[in-house]
Amino acid sequence: MLQLVDFVVRNRFFLVFVLLEVLSVWMIVRNNTYWGATYFNTSNYYVAKTLAFSNSVRDYTKLNEINADLASENAHLHALVAKLSQTNPSQLPAGYVPDSAFAARFSYTVAKVVDNETNKANNVITIDKGTAHGIKPGMGVISATGVVGKVRFCSEHYSVITSILHSNFMVSSKLVRSKEIGYAKWDGKDPNLIDMIDVSKYTKVYKGDSAVTSDQNSVFPPNIMVGKVESVAVNPNQTFYNIVLKLATDFRNLSYVYVVQNHQLVEQENLKARTIELKK
Amino acid sequence: MSLREAIQYSLMILLYLFLQIFFMRNIVLFNYAFCFIYIAPILLLPADMDRMYTLLIAFAVGFLVDVFSNTFGMHASATVLIAYLRPFLIHYQMKSRGAERAEVGIRAQGLGAFVSYIFPLILIHHSMLFLMEMNNFGMILYTLIRIGASTLFTTILIILLELFSKR
Repeated sequence: MLQLVDFVVRNRFFLVFVLLEVLSVWMIVRNNTYWGATYFNTSNYYVAKTLAFSNSVRDYTKLNEINADLASENAHLHALVAKLSQTNPSQLPAGYVPDSAFAARFSYTVAKVVDNETNKANNVITIDKGTAHGIKPGMGVISATGVVGKVRFCSEHYSVITSILHSNFMVSSKLVRSKEIGYAKWDGKDPNLIDMIDVSKYTKVYKGDSAVTSDQNSVFPPNIMVGKVESVAVNPNQTFYNIVLKLATDFRNLSYVYVVQNHQLVEQENLKARTIELKK
Repeated sequence: MSLREAIQYSLMILLYLFLQIFFMRNIVLFNYAFCFIYIAPILLLPADMDRMYTLLIAFAVGFLVDVFSNTFGMHASATVLIAYLRPFLIHYQMKSRGAERAEVGIRAQGLGAFVSYIFPLILIHHSMLFLMEMNNFGMILYTLIRIGASTLFTTILIILLELFSKR
């Protein structure tokens, strides 16, 4: 017993060192613990307040670009309204009656970006809306120019978003001209480029074609811009293209985003969960 | 350590943390060179300081940076590692120079010895940080360039700040 005490006293620095290392590694691995998700990230009220203060200085220098983005979005929306008011949904198969609840299942909340990172291997964004404004983890986030990410943690007034520039994030996307569906996923290097995977090489893919969110998404509304095809390569050993997209959103200048709420998401997920249970 | 010194060093830690959280996190040169200036106070703490305190301070500093950058303990673990390795390096240097008192700082050690003291520690810290952040092995070359560039950047900045600080 005495020897044990002696050992602990002699090696106390090493033991404290090991203890602290284990503690930090445990925090990294279990990054979804209650404490980690509630207090120790940038959705913490005080942390977010400080970051908002430092960001407010930077914002003034970017007002030009924000205005330009909003103006172009306005133009795009005007065009869309005009188009919708003229045409009936003629491409629908006969006998399909659109459900108004389904069509109106998305609602949007505007939020301001408090903190933004683009240079790390896993990037997150902090916004100034939280549970008090009806935001919950799992909701999609878009900007005036395209897809941004998905809500990860919420506090009362702030939320942390997993950006599309994050290794755990994939968006089901569709190429507009070739009508091919694949996943957009970031490789961790350039914040302007994103990879599109799982596109079969037996269809033609055009350079400059737009990739938008597909109809199979439950988090994002369909037809939100993801990026434009920058380069296409074929690996002879594989049946898939290596497509590189140029992101539509400039993440360095991100200032305002919209949080998308899908009112029918719970219903859809429950249905899916039931099929999984049945398979078991 | 006198109270005066203790206050001085706490202020130094706070100042470097402030620098890191408000300025350096936004500065990335050429998408490669990051600057983690917050490890400077850990390196510059007095050499005869209790090792236990050094470890705890390092953990606290790293953890604060973690909270502000959503990294859950990556900075903390890397900083604790260099705080643990620091005394060995100081001891080794002291022996090889035959000095009686261990001191750190560009004035006490001279430029050469100071660089050979901070450079390995910064390299270890940055390697650990970036390798932990790396999520697939294909990024290894890219990560190595980042480690090299960031180590240089941080080292140069710490030397500059040390040159212009009066103490």
